[in-house]
Amino acid sequence: MTQHDEAGRSGAPPLVVLEHITKKFPGVVANDDVSIDLRPGEVHALVGENGAGKSTLMRVLYGMYPADSGRIVIGGEERKIASPRDAIANGIGMVHQHFVLVDTFTVTENIILGEEGGPVLHTEGAEQQVTVLADSYGFDIDPGAVVEDLSVGEEQRVEILKALYRGVDILILDEPTAVLTPAETQELFANLRQLRQDGKSIVFISHKLDEVLQIADRITVLRRGVVVGETTPAETDKSKLAEMMVGRPVLFRLEKPTVEIGEPVLRLDDLRGGRLAGLTLEVRAGEIVGVAGVEGNGQRELADAIMGLRPLEGGSISLDGRDLRGLTTEEIRNAGVAFVPEDRHEQGLVLDMTLWENVVLGRHDDEEFSGTGGVLFIRKIKELASRLIGMFDVRTRSIDVTAGTLSGGNQQKLILARELETDPKLLIAAQPTRGLDVGAIEFVWSQILQQKAEGRAVLLISAELDEIYALSDRIVTLYEGRITGEYQPDAAAEDVGRGMLGRGSTETTG
Amino acid sequence: MAAPGATVPAARIRERPRWLEPLLVQAGALLLALLISLALGAVIIVWYGESPILVYSTILKFAFRDATSFGTVLSIATPLIFSALAVAVCFKAGLFNIGVEGQFLVGLVTATWAALHLDFLPGATLAIAVLVFAMLGGMIWAAIPAVLKVKTGAHEVVTTIMLNGIAVSFLAWALNGPLKFTETEGAFNVDLRSDRFADNALIPNIGELFGMKDSADFSLLFFLALIAAVLVWFLFKRMRLGYEARAVGSSPGSAQAGGISIGAVQIKLFLISGALAGLIGMQQLLVDKGALVQNYEAQLGFIGIGVAFLGQNNPIGIIFAAIFWSVLSRGESGLQIDTEVPREFVIILQGIFIMTVVIVYQVARRWAARRQLAREGQIEEMEDSAASVDVEGLAREDI
Repeated sequence: MTQHDEAGRSGAPPLVVLEHITKKFPGVVANDDVSIDLRPGEVHALVGENGAGKSTLMRVLYGMYPADSGRIVIGGEERKIASPRDAIANGIGMVHQHFVLVDTFTVTENIILGEEGGPVLHTEGAEQQVTVLADSYGFDIDPGAVVEDLSVGEEQRVEILKALYRGVDILILDEPTAVLTPAETQELFANLRQLRQDGKSIVFISHKLDEVLQIADRITVLRRGVVVGETTPAETDKSKLAEMMVGRPVLFRLEKPTVEIGEPVLRLDDLRGGRLAGLTLEVRAGEIVGVAGVEGNGQRELADAIMGLRPLEGGSISLDGRDLRGLTTEEIRNAGVAFVPEDRHEQGLVLDMTLWENVVLGRHDDEEFSGTGGVLFIRKIKELASRLIGMFDVRTRSIDVTAGTLSGGNQQKLILARELETDPKLLIAAQPTRGLDVGAIEFVWSQILQQKAEGRAVLLISAELDEIYALSDRIVTLYEGRITGEYQPDAAAEDVGRGMLGRGSTETTG
Repeated sequence: MAAPGATVPAARIRERPRWLEPLLVQAGALLLALLISLALGAVIIVWYGESPILVYSTILKFAFRDATSFGTVLSIATPLIFSALAVAVCFKAGLFNIGVEGQFLVGLVTATWAALHLDFLPGATLAIAVLVFAMLGGMIWAAIPAVLKVKTGAHEVVTTIMLNGIAVSFLAWALNGPLKFTETEGAFNVDLRSDRFADNALIPNIGELFGMKDSADFSLLFFLALIAAVLVWFLFKRMRLGYEARAVGSSPGSAQAGGISIGAVQIKLFLISGALAGLIGMQQLLVDKGALVQNYEAQLGFIGIGVAFLGQNNPIGIIFAAIFWSVLSRGESGLQIDTEVPREFVIILQGIFIMTVVIVYQVARRWAARRQLAREGQIEEMEDSAASVDVEGLAREDI
């Protein structure tokens, strides 16, 4: 591991020291006497579950929250950082999970925004500077490109360049890989290594442990606002880290229930339209079929097509022999299809509505929940909500709060509760654990395996190979809208990887 | 930099019930907006060389000095309640019905036609038929942008604005043609109007029951407006359609994935909105005038947008907002009599009030959101980490 050479630099004085930081929110201590230091030329990973306080700590450093007590020492002197502007002036930059770019501006225009240096823009000079900056860190980006034409990975590079343009030495990246494909992640890591070489200090906030082990020089683990330990990739491994984070052993492989695989439930034949280019696939009762693939190869379209949310140009979809094409989403749901969408905010929950209102979404016109006159039976809906929230352990104060107040893990539990309550024949689970931490992932996985145990068919669509391997009975790869390979769950990851790039066997399942 | 406020025990904060908080913020914001507007208005009054106290007390006096004054206020408020409800119904589903004005004008035409041609209907059934035709007219005019939106994706703001212009001309054409008066006694009249309606087409003036003079034009229509507000409230609070509309309004993707047909919801809401808009003109048609006249009171559909905003698209809020608006409007005539301030001052004041409310509500909302974030956002996150531990029944431990 090359990290050790870098760690040699840790003899250098730290750039920033956070000493005894305590940040309380009424009723909760988000950071309790947390001390960490950031050294030049290192990638320092902050790991912990959602709510462990890692983002809060970095927001304190970035001037977004004032700390209740503790000091921030930069270059040996105590500094007050009252705003992000102060932070940047002190050489601290932060790239948030959600980018803040002007879509219609070019890369350069975005980077110089707020730093134009006078009423007249010197775009050409700035473009020159941006090019030099990008080249020096090996960032592959066209400074003249308009942001709305960029991929997510490229947008992230713009965000990082924005910080570098302002001359920061410390770069905080909040869950930077959450939005990236595996290939983009590797590219980001290459950039980060270059920055490290140059003596920058990088804070890498994540709960993806494999990535942390790959890129970090030092790892600080937070749990419920307290530092529970500091380690290095050489001293630890994934399960040890997970145990530190959660406070108990975490299973990365769950026992797959043994169920007899039954008759085909879902048959997709030659689906065409949008990105789908002749997709054929079959899912049987009691079977979990994992669709692996780099995002943007038709995953979203596949799920939307089955749910009747997207018109198709050709092909057929049948459930237990019944033709689903041409049915409305409501009819498809009633036929026995449950759907956990990849974007739970856009397609799963109405964030402004209460938990009980969300729990009944899609079933609100069942006889059980509304009368022929169109009046909702609110008492019954609330009973359902209370029951499901108890069963799925959704952590909330009340069923009357809006879904937007829940954390990601609890939102996903709410969706699962709603979707599985209908006793579906088929479950479509698209990126079911995106953005969740290890504890919540384990819960979601066990629920999906439970569906298999009950003899239901599950179509799992995921960009995480780990997840595909952990759950699937059969793996197929999706590339440019077609199934490019079919594998057993013990197939080598390299083979599946080839299929994801369209270089697998071209046979499709029958 | 220890902030003592941050260590307040959670219990003290929870003393206030959660539902009360937003209401207090709203009421506080409204009061603040009122004070700011009155202060800004006072500056303008002083500029005119008048006393703000005199001007404001004149406005209040004209609205509240006796039953007739207040009855007049309520009569002015009646069409505004319908109008604002029409706007709010669409807004809840994220639709901007700028065409309430046009729907109201078309409702005037269809209602006039019914009053003149269905006069064979006995007793009150004629008045009811006229109301039904008013709603139908509004619905037809609202159906056009609704269908265009659902079928072609044409934005409703653009289509409704265009249709407003067509509605103005349509009314002018109808009044010059099919609805033009035939009575000879009216022939000297320079003003163009329809024939007078039969008495049983009109909505009876019931001001007397409340000690108001006839001039208040206070009728059952006001109570109809109140009923409409309650029905709209019920629609969004308790009915499937209202539920679907709110889901479509705040997250179309989730609504659609949940099996809701967005197009169907949008069309239904536009129709309800149009029906309400059709009733806007009934106060002037069936209570004040008893005929369709050339100098009908226009713009009511646009004022409804402002009133809906003041009422925060809440049906009950809209009732109060409409009455408040009408108090100011009623004060207009008082200003002319008792002060040197021109009557247009009221329009300025109404404008100031809307702008102030826009700003103050925005500021208050951000303030409340920040407070909530500081107080609760983090708690939720913390609860989540505890929750994932609890999955396997492990006891939560305090650190």
